[in-house]
Amino acid sequence: MSELKSLGKPTRRVDALEKVLGTARYTHDLKIPGMLVAKVLRSPVPHAEIVKLDVTPALKVPGVVAAITSEDFVDHSNWGFPVKDDYMLAYKKVRYVGDPIAAVAAETEDAAEAGLRAIVLELKELPAVFDVHEALQPGAPILHEELAKAEAEEPTSGELEDAEFIEVHGKGNLSETLIVRQGDPLAKLAECDVVLDAAYSVPHQEHAYLETEAALAVPTADGGVTVYVGDQSPFITLSNLVMTLGMPGKVRVIQSPHIGGAFGGKSDMVYETAAQAAMLAIKSGRPVKLVTSREESMVASYKRDAMEMHYRLGATKDGRLRAAKIECWADSGAYASMTPFTSWRATIHAMGPYRYEDCHVDISCVYTNNGYSGAFRGFGNTEVTAASEQAIDELAEMCGMDPMDFRLKNCVELGDTLPFGQKLEYSVGLKQCLERVRKISDWDRKRAEYSRQPANQEVRRGIGVASFFHGISLGAEGLDFAEHTIRLGEGNKFEILTGLTDYGQGSRTVFCLIAAEVLGLPVERFQWMPCDTDVVHECGPTVASRSTILGGNATRLAAMRLLTQLYETAAMMMGCMVPEVRQEGEVFHGPGGRRVSLDEIITYARTHHIPLSAKARWEMPRIHWSFAQGRGVPYVAYHFGAQVAEVEVDRRTGVTKVLNIYAVHDVGKVVFPQGIRGQIIGGISQGLGYALMERVEFDKGYIQNPNFDTYLIPTAADMPIVTVEFVESELPFGPFGAKNVAEPSMVPTAPAILNAIYHATGRRIRHLPANLERVLLGYDLKDTVTTVCQIGVCERAKCEL
Amino acid sequence: MEIRFTLNGKPTVVDVPPDTTLLHLLRDYLDLTGTKCGCEIGECGACSVILDGEVVNSCLVLAPQVEGRQVITIEGIRGPDGGPNDLQEAFIEAGAIQCGFCTPGMVVAATVLLRKHGYPTREQIVEGISGNLCRCTGYQQIVEAIQMTVLRRAGLPGKEGLA
Repeated sequence: MSELKSLGKPTRRVDALEKVLGTARYTHDLKIPGMLVAKVLRSPVPHAEIVKLDVTPALKVPGVVAAITSEDFVDHSNWGFPVKDDYMLAYKKVRYVGDPIAAVAAETEDAAEAGLRAIVLELKELPAVFDVHEALQPGAPILHEELAKAEAEEPTSGELEDAEFIEVHGKGNLSETLIVRQGDPLAKLAECDVVLDAAYSVPHQEHAYLETEAALAVPTADGGVTVYVGDQSPFITLSNLVMTLGMPGKVRVIQSPHIGGAFGGKSDMVYETAAQAAMLAIKSGRPVKLVTSREESMVASYKRDAMEMHYRLGATKDGRLRAAKIECWADSGAYASMTPFTSWRATIHAMGPYRYEDCHVDISCVYTNNGYSGAFRGFGNTEVTAASEQAIDELAEMCGMDPMDFRLKNCVELGDTLPFGQKLEYSVGLKQCLERVRKISDWDRKRAEYSRQPANQEVRRGIGVASFFHGISLGAEGLDFAEHTIRLGEGNKFEILTGLTDYGQGSRTVFCLIAAEVLGLPVERFQWMPCDTDVVHECGPTVASRSTILGGNATRLAAMRLLTQLYETAAMMMGCMVPEVRQEGEVFHGPGGRRVSLDEIITYARTHHIPLSAKARWEMPRIHWSFAQGRGVPYVAYHFGAQVAEVEVDRRTGVTKVLNIYAVHDVGKVVFPQGIRGQIIGGISQGLGYALMERVEFDKGYIQNPNFDTYLIPTAADMPIVTVEFVESELPFGPFGAKNVAEPSMVPTAPAILNAIYHATGRRIRHLPANLERVLLGYDLKDTVTTVCQIGVCERAKCEL
Repeated sequence: MEIRFTLNGKPTVVDVPPDTTLLHLLRDYLDLTGTKCGCEIGECGACSVILDGEVVNSCLVLAPQVEGRQVITIEGIRGPDGGPNDLQEAFIEAGAIQCGFCTPGMVVAATVLLRKHGYPTREQIVEGISGNLCRCTGYQQIVEAIQMTVLRRAGLPGKEGLA
């Protein structure tokens, strides 16, 4: 590869200027004449039958223009993927506090609220269930009777086909169980010299994007609707709107130019917001804007699932991992949303990036009346890694080994086979990440020094490590592709059209950089465009840290085609053969000192009707995972990384101050340095919150902390100094070798911090977050059940608790 | 009721119900949407504006409270040419911006911080922006942008160029 001109070089974010000036328009900021305000009536109880629902009294309230229920939609607004168990507005039942029931549009906010109060709603409360284990007991209240009934009628014999993964085939409140299978770990555990048996748990986590969910729906002349929205995947919004509104060809989704954060959270809840606004716009014939308040957003939107995890790991006494038996229960809440997929990703990563002989993982997704769970940065991996990387540390200690040495001894390398049968044949930089983070964190000196702190010292330091892997893009979840167009636009700039959205992560800049690199032109020659489903091609969802790889490759291929057009046009203009053309930035040279500039080529092309426009589609190599057998190739490749956290804990108060985090990630290739560093540090801040303070507190289904005064996220004062470095083990088919980064950045942070707290205090906190009480007392006063492991703990840990 | 105040240096009159917050006065009546609404309880700082030289959460200020006073919003923070000023330029260079929703509030908070402390320490910078939540960046780049501005205003090289 020749030397790179744009990629990996310092570059500013292409959409930074309008953001820093405050002129950037978000969905919250959109306004058009005649616009109505919409409000949503939400369930005040965790589980109930809708006995009576009448919105006609709302229509009599002055200023109210339209009011809707599920009756106004096709099939009662039933939707959901991979399980069609949800409704844009509730039908027959409500299943969580905040479940949307009806919506009104009015001239003013006050009128809309008066309209909501006028709606006649009669609910018959049903017994509810808030614990995953209780939900699986016989006689537990069932959330989805129809699904449970359909399951009971399914034949129980015979092998499950892989395709059945996307259908519910659990029982009662069990929506799905995902598995990994290799050998017989229980038999192996019996042979192991050292066995760890411990239970861990993680709580629900709120995305806390600063811009709440919003949509602006505008009726169109043909009886359809255009919806402006801040979501992650406009084509999924579109398909859900088409399905529930029943108007194919008449719905258009236009992404707001800027989106105030997402982190996995701007999907299901935004589809519902969009559908509610769209139906109100159709009913009223007026533009309708729906913006959720912070409290409404935090109560009604989906969370990172809470998960209970039981780990049994076995090793030889000299520290060679042999077996893992892992069982987890994910709290799906009221609807499946993405929980079957997050749990699948969790099964693949639950054992960590290590060599094992035998390994079984079982993760059950369980319906409860605790809100509902869905996608959130890390998508299942964040949850299980919080447990597995603590378990690895505990096992290392049982073997009398340094945690870094233990990981280096067991970590996967090129040519190794993962426990589900996948041989790693390229782009495996884990060992380099561990070695590098050991060096830059001054691990050996600090570990030794902090281990020598006197027992009576109250303010204590500790240092901990976590390593991990994270499968790239969607993997075997589904077809994985992107299709981009680069075309000549205004001001002689080239527009990059994509269906992938930039909600802050920087993909617009990545695409501009890749196009600039391939075409040999300055980045300023490229113009990003917001998604518009009438203009761009579908690119699949903007999830799974897939934009750089999928969109980057589609951009690269489209740019190569456009370059060919530029050469051909230049050759035509200079009267020479294409191979005689030589490009030097914006100047194309021909034989005999002839030359034409890019602007001249563009003028010539416009005059002669040569369309300087190219599109290209790129698809991920196909792979196969057997959901029935729990084996196969789940992802074509993996991001690897390791983070070291250094903490200072005051044992008298329980206050943990994270002093430093050192992060080394194998990203394949750094494309946009400022952006990738931002992804890592930002992900670490979310991981730090997960480790120390963030927990959505459900009390019998009611969220106790629905705003930022009670649900705390890290501030500038909570953040350590973060040192970021990269390992570049190029992905052969990544654009210029690049892999994924957005989600992986937060995955190892929480366990690294928890391992450091243990090193500082000798207190192992297996239940997140490690808040003041848990660090000080070992348990949380708010816990209804004792945090002492119920399932069984290794002997040393038992004594300590 | 009519509220008269100075907004971004210009005398301004606006007629709003007396229970309107400054945040909604700016966004809904004057279309100054650079000031963002994140929580409406004064916790996130996305709605930060400068009121008589102090940072305030505009969601906690009622419109009548600004009568006769000076308000500066993000739209009033500009360089001499109307483009970004040195602080805003440093935000861009340091990578202090991701989704951008907290950015106006951060710039407002940093502007006041730099006016109060000519040469703030890292701790003072962190303190100065700790009332502003950012869920994207992890804050480090924002601190770096402010440090870069401090050094440049002192005529020192700062960290030249882009991160």
